[in-house]
Amino acid sequence: MFVTPTNPRFIDKAWTRGGDVYILDMEDSIAPAEKARCRTLIRESIQKANKGGASIYVRINKPFVDADLPYAVWPGVDRIMLPKTESAEEIRHADEIITRLEKERGIPPGTIELSAMIESTLGAVNIYEILTASPRKIWSMGGGGGYDMAVNLGIEMFASFDQYAFPINYVAFAAMALGIEATGGVFVPNTSGRVDQGDQAAEQAKALHAAGIHHAGALHPAYIQPLVSGLSPTADEIAWAKRVIDAFDELADAGESVGELDGKVIDKYEYEMAQSTLEWAAECAAKDRYKERAMKKALAAA
Amino acid sequence: MHTSSENIPLIGPKPMPKYIRRSLFPLSIDDPQLGEKAFSSWADAIILDFVKKPGRDWQEDLKSRMPAAIHQAAKGGAEVFVRIERDVAAAELDATVFPGISGVVLKGVTGPEDIKAAAQRLDALEQSRGIASGSLEIDVEVNTAGGVWNSLEIARASPRIGTFLVNEQELCRNLGMQAAPTLEFDPLEYIKSQMITVAISVGGQALGMSYPLSLTQGNVGADALKQAVRIARDTGFKGAVCPHAAWIKVCNEGFRPSAEEAAYYVKVIEVFAEGLKRGMASVPIDGKMIDVPVDLRAKVYLKWAHRAQARDDEKARAHAAA
Repeated sequence: MFVTPTNPRFIDKAWTRGGDVYILDMEDSIAPAEKARCRTLIRESIQKANKGGASIYVRINKPFVDADLPYAVWPGVDRIMLPKTESAEEIRHADEIITRLEKERGIPPGTIELSAMIESTLGAVNIYEILTASPRKIWSMGGGGGYDMAVNLGIEMFASFDQYAFPINYVAFAAMALGIEATGGVFVPNTSGRVDQGDQAAEQAKALHAAGIHHAGALHPAYIQPLVSGLSPTADEIAWAKRVIDAFDELADAGESVGELDGKVIDKYEYEMAQSTLEWAAECAAKDRYKERAMKKALAAA
Repeated sequence: MHTSSENIPLIGPKPMPKYIRRSLFPLSIDDPQLGEKAFSSWADAIILDFVKKPGRDWQEDLKSRMPAAIHQAAKGGAEVFVRIERDVAAAELDATVFPGISGVVLKGVTGPEDIKAAAQRLDALEQSRGIASGSLEIDVEVNTAGGVWNSLEIARASPRIGTFLVNEQELCRNLGMQAAPTLEFDPLEYIKSQMITVAISVGGQALGMSYPLSLTQGNVGADALKQAVRIARDTGFKGAVCPHAAWIKVCNEGFRPSAEEAAYYVKVIEVFAEGLKRGMASVPIDGKMIDVPVDLRAKVYLKWAHRAQARDDEKARAHAAA
């Protein structure tokens, strides 16, 4: 969830919301007159927002990359988000500065990840070059849709049909071709345009989950729990995955490669899918345990 | 008002539609009523088509008639384009490019080399025929799988590229798809979105109509047409080629922000400005988040509405003068 460091009401309470990640925003939620003050608040905001075990990202401003990064790169930051990325050169430039700051501040080199936020048509068509611009781990975020992309396309948002069919899929394909997990972007109608409705978040999570996408962003706390639970494997899915693995192992022992379980075909593909489900379930469980321990500790200290 | 371009940040995506071309009306230079039809159509642009007459020197024939046809087509204040075929582009350009046109619609483009060849020919014709250097535009009519596949390279092949026109009837034939509205979904949704994305990425724009009108091109009545235009606009198209004169008014009114939308944008700008005064860069209106891009969109769309109005005023002056 995006959090505004300049607003104590938001930043001080963020850790209680149970999010997996908090994005300390230096960009669009910060008024121009507050930008300078926001920079000075990032370091202390890291400690506030990660008290409940969440990872911390920082979204900087495209026109102020050089000025923002020295205030954004600190121990405890997992990822820097580069909004409105349109070229490989922007990635290389940010990477150079982050590399220098990691060295100066005792952060293991190359450990801070980068997110290229694709928010324009130019960014979308250049996605492959953007994602291969640096040896640093680069994620694509924004998914080729959203508010800024709507401005660039010259469209009203919140229509009842998918308005971003090409940019979202093109960005996702490029990421997946490079072995990067796709984020965002399965169309679910939201004609009200509201960003504070848990039901909408649950629908979004269901659609993403079905498409094998594990991450989604939120602008309001009401989105957090529906996303966290909706993007985690269910007990039924975990049980099914275990049965598939057992069944496939038995097939393999018998020298077979294709069989049937409850009327469904079981093969290498289903076996790998089941393994992937269990791996994701283990990652979710580990994150939940970590957050639970951190939360208990923070509550005891409060 | 908050609509001056000075208020719009120069950073980030280029937001403004490049041209106000909501309606493009194809007419034949052989049509004896060409001037009358063009004048009364109120189209933003006229596309001139022609037939090569057998048994005559078709190039000389076209050269003798084209200047007058361009003049007739432009009388109502419309921009004028000439549609030519890729495979005989050089010869057709020689025969049809004269002062008064805004550019050419190149049909059947399959790769960047088509654009580069046409651009080179236009360089020479501009010089020999007294047309400002580099002023003629190349618009791409996509009607083949090759054109779709190579669209980004095509778009980047020349700074002359202006718009992408999606000819869905011919594209369906090329793809072997049934070009009839028997499906409940738009079979070309992804391709249309691709053409829009590619065109805007180079600073141009795309023109097309939403399904099923994009395939049937029937005269379905004003309400259905209005709805189709709205969907096309919400997809990112900035106008459409109008097979019937009846489409033009609906396109002119639909491919621009409405008065109701303009009033909402004014409210958005005011609420956001108030929020900024209180140090808030994100404020709600009816549960919708209003922040920097929403404020920018409101400013851009107001300017877009004013430019569309200015285009209508320009055509009205041309009519009055004629």
